[in-house]
Amino acid sequence: MQATTTKEKRPYVLEFCLIVIAILVALPIYYLLVTTLKTPEEAAASPLGLPHQWILSNYVDAWKLMHYPRVFMNNFIITFFSLIGCTILPCMASYGFARSRNWLSKLLFLAIIAGLVVPFQIALIPLYKLIMSMHLMNTLWAVVIINVSVTIPFNVFLFINFVKSLPLEVEESASIDGSGVVGTFFRIVLPLMQPVIASAAILNSLTFWNDFMGPLLFLQTREKAVILQEVYRNIGQFSTNWTAFFPMMVLGVAPLLLFYIIMQKYIISGIAAGSVKG
Amino acid sequence: MLRKRERSFFLLILPAVLIYMIFYLYPVISTFVHSFTDWSLLQKNIHFIGLDNYKALFHDDVVLTGIKNSILYAIIMTIVQNALAVPLAVALDRNLRTKNWLRMIFFAPAVLSPLVVGFLWSYIMSSLDYGPLNQILTHLGLGSVNWLGSAKLALYSVILTQVWQWTGWAMVIYLANLQGISKELFEAAHMDGANGWKTFWKITLPLLVPSITINTVLSMIGGLKVFDIIFSMTNGGPGHATESIVTVLLQRAFTDSQLGYASALGVLFSSFVMIVTVLQLRLMKRWEVS
Repeated sequence: MQATTTKEKRPYVLEFCLIVIAILVALPIYYLLVTTLKTPEEAAASPLGLPHQWILSNYVDAWKLMHYPRVFMNNFIITFFSLIGCTILPCMASYGFARSRNWLSKLLFLAIIAGLVVPFQIALIPLYKLIMSMHLMNTLWAVVIINVSVTIPFNVFLFINFVKSLPLEVEESASIDGSGVVGTFFRIVLPLMQPVIASAAILNSLTFWNDFMGPLLFLQTREKAVILQEVYRNIGQFSTNWTAFFPMMVLGVAPLLLFYIIMQKYIISGIAAGSVKG
Repeated sequence: MLRKRERSFFLLILPAVLIYMIFYLYPVISTFVHSFTDWSLLQKNIHFIGLDNYKALFHDDVVLTGIKNSILYAIIMTIVQNALAVPLAVALDRNLRTKNWLRMIFFAPAVLSPLVVGFLWSYIMSSLDYGPLNQILTHLGLGSVNWLGSAKLALYSVILTQVWQWTGWAMVIYLANLQGISKELFEAAHMDGANGWKTFWKITLPLLVPSITINTVLSMIGGLKVFDIIFSMTNGGPGHATESIVTVLLQRAFTDSQLGYASALGVLFSSFVMIVTVLQLRLMKRWEVS
């Protein structure tokens, strides 16, 4: 008799087709990388060929021209503090919302959830005035606080579903031990939320790092600029020596691309988990 | 005792609520109110002008083009992206040796910044003699295409790059959904003599409905909000052929200083996004039940 659970045969033809598709998908990224090492003439003659010699001076120039360490730090500071804010505040709030029986908190919850369907772009004009009147214009904090406020609805929504799935017994035993609500939250609930926090953090950090509109509107001097603003500033400056722009694009995407290559397993599963629950 | 507990809950809620109210809710309401005024940076006083801004919107060709483009962009992107992502995910769910590598490559474009993707693809699709895409097409004897310079084609070229960028993201969500489906279901179908095609339509696809809902809602909303990629690839051009709602909104607000008018466009835009989201969720719910 045949075994009921026959092991699936390897579908070689399918795999071959998929590999071909993957190569096609990867080609633009390959083109981006390989062009950085070429002269314009060489790139025009054979766009996809390997470079004759590896000219790294383009990268050195791009690094200097973009003030890379400075813009990188600005990007990093914005992403780091935005992540802290967009994690801790919605965590606290979602616990409060999940456990409170008060009508006011129910109302506030609805107000926050409404933000899920209201696109943030509608808020830009008054926000611009508000940031100006608070003297936050041209500070990294402006972008941080906007990042946090934009992500609050989604993160509260994501976290509250998780909190509601936690068993109440653990918290009850803690409150018998004399721990208050705030203490119970920080010592017991918050550590349990780790997996959902991780997937929200991955999702949000991609958004924060790649955000262009926020910095474009709220960071005006070069000292405060983020990486993408420097990329944007330099496009079109090299109409003849156009391959010199390519290292800038690479420096623009390199940090996240490296992060992705190292952490891909966690990033992909985090995004899948975050989206499926959201 | 209970009141003290409630007060503590409120304390936990408060910081998020405050930030949200000041930096999200207040600006949204303010936009709504200002959409009925002639607020502008060019004059000192603000006057209430009723629905004039809204009426003017429908006579503004650039606005109408922007609306049309955003809708077209969102719908085409949603359809193409999901039509590609579902089969890709089903294929990757098989017993493949290079599965993890393939998944990593398909998802990779999604971590790149849309701004840089826009610049990169405007080089790739360039009509100048170095443009690699046209070089390849010419080699294959297909002739070159004016990807971004043609008013008719430019929007579709932008959509193409976004399909390239986001299909892997959708695929990953489908894949997670598929991995949650018990393999016994497929085996049972196989035993009953169902072929691969039938299994896909009768079992796989219905079970994928939750992730189809998520993916289509996400890409519809994302599509309606499109900004970065258009800003970097075409900047709304040629002419105003690829203008989107958000690019027009930012121009009217920050370049032309017509803040009241731009606010009206913002309100119209949000109502639109809201209606689309709610309709879509309803429709999908019905499908999920049946």
